[in-house]
Amino acid sequence: MTKYVARRVALAILVVAGVVVLTFVIARVVPGDPAASWAGPHVSRAELARVRHDLGLDLPLPEQIGRYFAGVAGGDWGTSIHTHQPVLSDLMDRAPASIELVTVAMLIALVVGIPLGLISAKWPGRASDGIIRVAAVLGVSMPAFWLALILQLLFFQRLHLLPVAGQYDPNLDYTHPLTQYTRMVVVDALITGNWIVLRSAIAHLILPALVIASYPVGVITRMVRASVLDTVGEDHVRMVRALGFPERSVFGRFALKLSLNPVIAVVALVFAYSLANTFLVEAVFDWPGLGSYAANAISALDTPAIVGVTLFIAVVYVVLNLAVDLVQAYLDPRIRLR
Amino acid sequence: MIEDAFARGGTRPLAQAGLAIRRNPLIAVGGALALLIVVVAILAPAIATHPGDAYTAAHPTQTLLAPSSEHWFGTDQLGRDVYSRVVYGARVSPLIAFLVLVIACLVGIPLGIAAGYFGGVIDDVLMRITDVFLAFPALLLALAFAAVLKPSAGNTTLAIALTWWPWYTRLIRGQAASVAGRQYVEAAKALGVPHRRILFKHILPNSITPLIVQVSLDVSAVILTASALSFLGLGAQDPTPDWGLMVSQGQSYFTTQWWLVTFPGAAILLTAVAFNLLGDGLRDVLDPRRVPNR
Amino acid sequence: MFAKGSRIATVVMVLAVAAACSGTSTAKNSPSGSAASNATLNYNVTSQVMIGWDPSTGYSNEIIAMNNMYEQLTRYNPDTKQVDPLLATKWESSADGLTWTFTIRSGVRFHTGRTMTADDVKASIDRTMQLNGGAAYIWGPVKSIDAPSADTVVFTLKYPSPMDLIASADYAAYIFDTKAAGNQDLAKWFEAGHEAGTGPYQLDQWNKGQETELRLKAFPDYWDGWNGSHYARYIFSVTPEATTAAQLLRSGQATIVERMTPQLWQTFQNQDGFTTTDDASWQTLLAMLNTSSGPLADVNVRQAVASAIDYQGMMAALHGGAEQISGYVPPGLWGHSDNLPNPTYDVQHAQDLLQKAGYGPSGKPMDLTLTYTQGDADEQLVGQLMKADLAKLNINVDVRGLAWPAQWSMAKSSNPADRQDILLFYWWPDYADPYSWFINLFHTEPKPFFNLSYYSNPQLDKMIDDVETVAATNRDQAVGDYQQMQTMLLQDMPAISLYTQVYQKAMQSSVGGFIENPAYPNVVFGYDVQPTG
Repeated sequence: MTKYVARRVALAILVVAGVVVLTFVIARVVPGDPAASWAGPHVSRAELARVRHDLGLDLPLPEQIGRYFAGVAGGDWGTSIHTHQPVLSDLMDRAPASIELVTVAMLIALVVGIPLGLISAKWPGRASDGIIRVAAVLGVSMPAFWLALILQLLFFQRLHLLPVAGQYDPNLDYTHPLTQYTRMVVVDALITGNWIVLRSAIAHLILPALVIASYPVGVITRMVRASVLDTVGEDHVRMVRALGFPERSVFGRFALKLSLNPVIAVVALVFAYSLANTFLVEAVFDWPGLGSYAANAISALDTPAIVGVTLFIAVVYVVLNLAVDLVQAYLDPRIRLR
Repeated sequence: MIEDAFARGGTRPLAQAGLAIRRNPLIAVGGALALLIVVVAILAPAIATHPGDAYTAAHPTQTLLAPSSEHWFGTDQLGRDVYSRVVYGARVSPLIAFLVLVIACLVGIPLGIAAGYFGGVIDDVLMRITDVFLAFPALLLALAFAAVLKPSAGNTTLAIALTWWPWYTRLIRGQAASVAGRQYVEAAKALGVPHRRILFKHILPNSITPLIVQVSLDVSAVILTASALSFLGLGAQDPTPDWGLMVSQGQSYFTTQWWLVTFPGAAILLTAVAFNLLGDGLRDVLDPRRVPNR
Repeated sequence: MFAKGSRIATVVMVLAVAAACSGTSTAKNSPSGSAASNATLNYNVTSQVMIGWDPSTGYSNEIIAMNNMYEQLTRYNPDTKQVDPLLATKWESSADGLTWTFTIRSGVRFHTGRTMTADDVKASIDRTMQLNGGAAYIWGPVKSIDAPSADTVVFTLKYPSPMDLIASADYAAYIFDTKAAGNQDLAKWFEAGHEAGTGPYQLDQWNKGQETELRLKAFPDYWDGWNGSHYARYIFSVTPEATTAAQLLRSGQATIVERMTPQLWQTFQNQDGFTTTDDASWQTLLAMLNTSSGPLADVNVRQAVASAIDYQGMMAALHGGAEQISGYVPPGLWGHSDNLPNPTYDVQHAQDLLQKAGYGPSGKPMDLTLTYTQGDADEQLVGQLMKADLAKLNINVDVRGLAWPAQWSMAKSSNPADRQDILLFYWWPDYADPYSWFINLFHTEPKPFFNLSYYSNPQLDKMIDDVETVAATNRDQAVGDYQQMQTMLLQDMPAISLYTQVYQKAMQSSVGGFIENPAYPNVVFGYDVQPTG
């Protein structure tokens, strides 16, 4: 096990290093002349030379990469052009809101997706299976930004239900001020027992979380269905069945357990995917997370901020993958041998 | 994309297509819808009621009109016919998806074959590179590339293609490695058959089936990614009748003029559903492990 | 530094100036400390508020907050078209217009706790002039400032100028505590997010880049006092998307919304619980034509472009958000004239002119680049409409949305070939005077700054140089001069004056006491509106 862990961690570190190099390429190489794009389209030659020097672009490429690495490792992720703040501190400010949103969306996806997948797999080919499969296809085919707008139209404009913007009603800051520990409003409200803010926060969370959940629901439903159908066909499950265990037990106890492994893996991956999806959704809902930060950065052509968000989510993705692999290896010793 | 990474199976010839369609009518639905989109794209000038509105045009006194018999999907902020633009939109993001997948295959397949067939250092280096690319959600990496390029349909295509090739490298590498290990290929190698011949005669044909399945599944993902980039202002620019761009431009009006957002968005959804169903269906047919046979 | 053009300012909200200076006597000098009601004013705006914090150099969106934290010596009153007392109680000028004496209000406290004196007024304006950033140019006529007594400030001028009007400027005219930072560097202290004004509201909390960006609270020692009829707190929240802003208003989270689309705004008209206002502003949209290089260097081509635009169509497409303008000076401001040779939509005329230059449907195609400020939906729409209009004349326009800094640096490019052909941007005056358009946009500049037509006309330059001196002594003659200058410009057409924006805003009907003050774009004077009901 130790050997496996060491190998897996080393691989993850290697990938993160590669990710840093790739973001370096995006920030410094793809734009052609990064000094020009940094300084604006038409600056004087002297100004350009100064910017080039400030950015270290007059150094040999390996040294530039070295410096970039040192900066990233040392917490210097550059300065955002549109907020004029260090990118890393911006990200730390913004991340909790997005993580809260995506976590709730993933919970929704699990609570909805797993039962749907099981129902679908239990009676394959029936009408219920057909409906669920179509729903799952709709989920993974849904343009998130469009769903966000349509849900707003329905729930707010037409039905006058559910708030549509922000994390909670800012006027409550005066009547029921919230002490922030985690910067996740729901968590902080729970910790401090601030029920008024909690209610407002949950109401604000529903629509954006539903939108973010649409893709994971589709993916998880399909994964559970496929994986259960696979498992039910495997030898040991047939054996269990042959031994006369009741069908419910065969299905629930054996097939479901065995098919959860791929589901755990997919959840971690979809989590990172959903973080990227917040780029399309948060701005619509005025949600103060990474997504609206990225959307603002994009419209301000704020390369350091865009690259920072990219790097951040990629690292989250790698770390989640690593965690999943280690958990799975712990649960299923066979994996360690691969 | 993700789930497919988990669900890539072996190959089997196209045999029981008819049977599969009967078992899974969704393939037929997906195929019909996909065909419809292709037909609409080709025949756009004939299908559109106001073909002149697809690109540069403005009718300032007819802006933001509600759907009517004259303008089936209403008009936009410049007075252009939304129906005609949605129809012409079938030529934009589906074409982007087609080009992305062609480029990704052209880059990904040779690299995959090289890695799988030759193995060793080439394999290690290529696989670590793909590891890095696959450490980003596709949308995110494409977005980062697109953000540093000048926004245009061409650069969107490039940005997504840059993101997509590693999937094919991985897929083909797996196939190539398994084929390369088989006895008849080993034998051919031992007999001094040139690499090129082995590649084209044995390895490539064996890799085609899973590739077709993957590509058909990826059409939706690419269309969604391209639309998302357009929505963020990093894709095609006005007056291109791109669906994502139309949703983005209609955003300010959607509560008062719902048609600006609803129709182009529905077109994206429909297209994505069509190719997802088709891809699913093809996978069911070509990869029998997925066929619901109980 | 952001220039004023960077403001995607579309809606001005300016209120009840009268109340600040009038005799609503109960409000005056009530015991300090008892702030106001418990009400909160939540002003929803489209873009980040505090771009800069320095009251001397701020020249961007921050004025919407600064005008609540800081005050000027005077404030413009749109009803009387004169200025009213604010931190100065009265003033007079010498007969030659070269010496202006202001009497400073007594008993005014800064938020830092110090009492304001004439020395502070001098120190504030001296600092603004010395830093010479933002709109500091407004103090150009000033030779020296003296504070002979604690309540008297004397301005000595190089040439006659309307000092009372200049002192009311929306930028660069704030009075502040120059000692606020103690031993530290004052500029750095400001930029760290501090203020040192005398205004009714003081800084409570600043959350840079967040949706609820800025919180102000009533300043208990405000010189005009609190009587319980005011908002106790003032929040600035940032919502770029008009639809979301409208929804926040509907749900009651926002009190006043700076800007939405005309369509959304209409949904609040005649709706219970909401009030809407629409007033023409002084914010004009200009299409600056490149007179120095490219096809538009030819005056015939510029006139052709001006005749090719369907102005009425443009107004229709803007659905009440804009009004066509005669000349360059907007109505409501002195110097405006309705009798000017304005361009009209005449495609045949445009074709004839283009033919002379070898272009047009029967000539060679023309390619033009048009830039507008990214994110401004109106400018984008106008650019698209112009593209469609000009396409009919075999002119292909590349419409490019750029972030303002990029748009501006392209326009200022040292190589004329790199500059755009048409640039869309807004202009509005820094104080209630037409001078700003002429000195900034049309006076010859050795290096382009805001003259983004690169226009140079020595005869016009001479008139611009003289007009303010004339204005200080003979307003009627100055009006005639401005009319003549506008006629010259319309003949040379360095810029097409497209329209003035109509500020359409919606608010909770509980907000009482609104008056539009076009001299302070986007500003809602929190002290002057009251929570009712």
